[in-house]
Amino acid sequence: MMRNIHFLIAVALLAALPAIESPFIQSMALTCLMFAGLAVSWSMFSGPTRYLSLATSAFFGLGAYCTAWGLGKLPWPAVVMLGGCAAVVFAFAIGLITLRLRGAYFAVITYGLGELVKHSITHVEKTWFGTVGRVMTETPSSATVYWTVLAIAALAVWTYVAFGRSRYGHALRGIGMDEERAATLGVNPMRVKLIGFCLSAWFAGALGAAMAVRWTYIDPHTVFNPFIVFQTVLISMVGGPLTIGGPLIGALAFSLLSEFLRLSLPYLYMIILGVLLIVSVLYLPDGIAGYDWKRLWEKITRRKAPEEKP
Amino acid sequence: MNFYLFIDLVVAGLVTGGIYAVVALGLNLQYGLMRIMNIAHGEFLMLGAYFTYALVKVTGASPLWFIPPMMVALFLLGLLLHRLIFRLLAATSPNAEAMEARSLIVGFGLMFIAQNVAQLIWGGGMSGQPYLDAPVTFGEVTVAANRLLVLVVVAAASLALVLVLKKTLLGKAVRGMLQAPLGAMLVGIDTRTLHPACFGLGLALAGLAGGLLSMVYELTPAMGEPYTISALIVITLGGLGNIPGAIAGAILLGLAETFGMYFTSPSMKILISYGVLVGVLLLRPKGLFAR
Repeated sequence: MMRNIHFLIAVALLAALPAIESPFIQSMALTCLMFAGLAVSWSMFSGPTRYLSLATSAFFGLGAYCTAWGLGKLPWPAVVMLGGCAAVVFAFAIGLITLRLRGAYFAVITYGLGELVKHSITHVEKTWFGTVGRVMTETPSSATVYWTVLAIAALAVWTYVAFGRSRYGHALRGIGMDEERAATLGVNPMRVKLIGFCLSAWFAGALGAAMAVRWTYIDPHTVFNPFIVFQTVLISMVGGPLTIGGPLIGALAFSLLSEFLRLSLPYLYMIILGVLLIVSVLYLPDGIAGYDWKRLWEKITRRKAPEEKP
Repeated sequence: MNFYLFIDLVVAGLVTGGIYAVVALGLNLQYGLMRIMNIAHGEFLMLGAYFTYALVKVTGASPLWFIPPMMVALFLLGLLLHRLIFRLLAATSPNAEAMEARSLIVGFGLMFIAQNVAQLIWGGGMSGQPYLDAPVTFGEVTVAANRLLVLVVVAAASLALVLVLKKTLLGKAVRGMLQAPLGAMLVGIDTRTLHPACFGLGLALAGLAGGLLSMVYELTPAMGEPYTISALIVITLGGLGNIPGAIAGAILLGLAETFGMYFTSPSMKILISYGVLVGVLLLRPKGLFAR
């Protein structure tokens, strides 16, 4: 109950943010919320199952293209819903065939499919519509975009917790530990994985749809950028995908880091990201939130204790 | 389509395929032996190309002189990376799947580092150092000399590797590790020495391909990525750990790309590559030559 109240207070405070009329803070908060939403939705499926999905960019880009197509024809909430649903349809289609593969194969094929979609859209736009990108007019106000992204991110957090507690969450964790054992215990792995994969895709697609209007001009290379999925995976892995705190801490830390480094020293920023990625995989396999800090603290204090004696 | 055009396309396909073979052999050793899904493999090709180019620019000598020392440097870099990262990764991964997934993330990290270091040192795109680009004619067929040289060198390198693996005791040890990692350790094969050596060898082979490419194509910090994808396609086509299969797969892919591009358009190249990758993974995830 206390947790629910904390969560509602946090959402209410963030919702009041546009009242501070600072474009800088608002844009930073927007990026932070976007990555928090993406990381939470990624962790929803890939955290417990340990299936490394690299399809987030594809979901995001599909959502963004739904906005490019539907804006002005449909009301704003319907556009965002549509973006999420397009991602779900895509996730369902590729999930049916790719969720049978495991380990690096799954990661490589989800990445490959994302790139295939990106290059197909580039090709179709160039040959059929004679265009490289699309310009969006009649964009909603920046406060509306902010509240939409906040709502999706908050919904993602709520879903992460509720889904994790449900039968499906337990089944997904069972699959992550030992898929064959989960299957013999009566879990239908394919069905459970598909549900988890599609659910996580909806949020990425909806976020893509909501964020697309921020650019006003989109092309496949911006919205299907593999960087989106790399950053999402990085945030989740460094933060720790197994608890809700992990992706949130990660998103906050990386938004601040990128805000200060990315514009002034873009190459150095990427090098730092690379080093952090390697270090976190090597030393923090369950992320910052999943690390046993208490034990480390005890270890340090215990090691110091004998030195104090003469 | 006339006969000479056909020969032209076959030669171009073989050159591309040969480069793919050299890159894929290294990746195949890394993946087959250590379950390292090194997505940064193409980045070492890029480093090899830039090293060669930089040395040629400073000294003005032929790039062929610099390829062997550059390969040694990359081999040593491989030993270092294995010692710093992959040994620990292998020791702390509970199973092969975890190793694959974690090494993939490490690979992305290495990719970010390598590409942006190259960007900082050498800047964005720059033209390569055309070397030996005089045409050589055989009757009606004309081929640039450097492409012919690339073809000869990659064929020799692939052949040498296959011979070492087939004929020597060292090669037998490596094949043993490919077939049964645990069994190899039980019969006394020194995996602690051979694993880093094979990882370094993979980097050196990627560097060889890069050094050769620097004579033919333009250099960019992102030039390695398509080769990583191609190498992944090749080892999936050929079957993991299957060295002759990888060579056959590489030549097949090189020819398919060259002919596919000729009959459609150059912008389709990447679409064809990813299409082949996805198709192969879905239809024959164990490789074309799996029994």
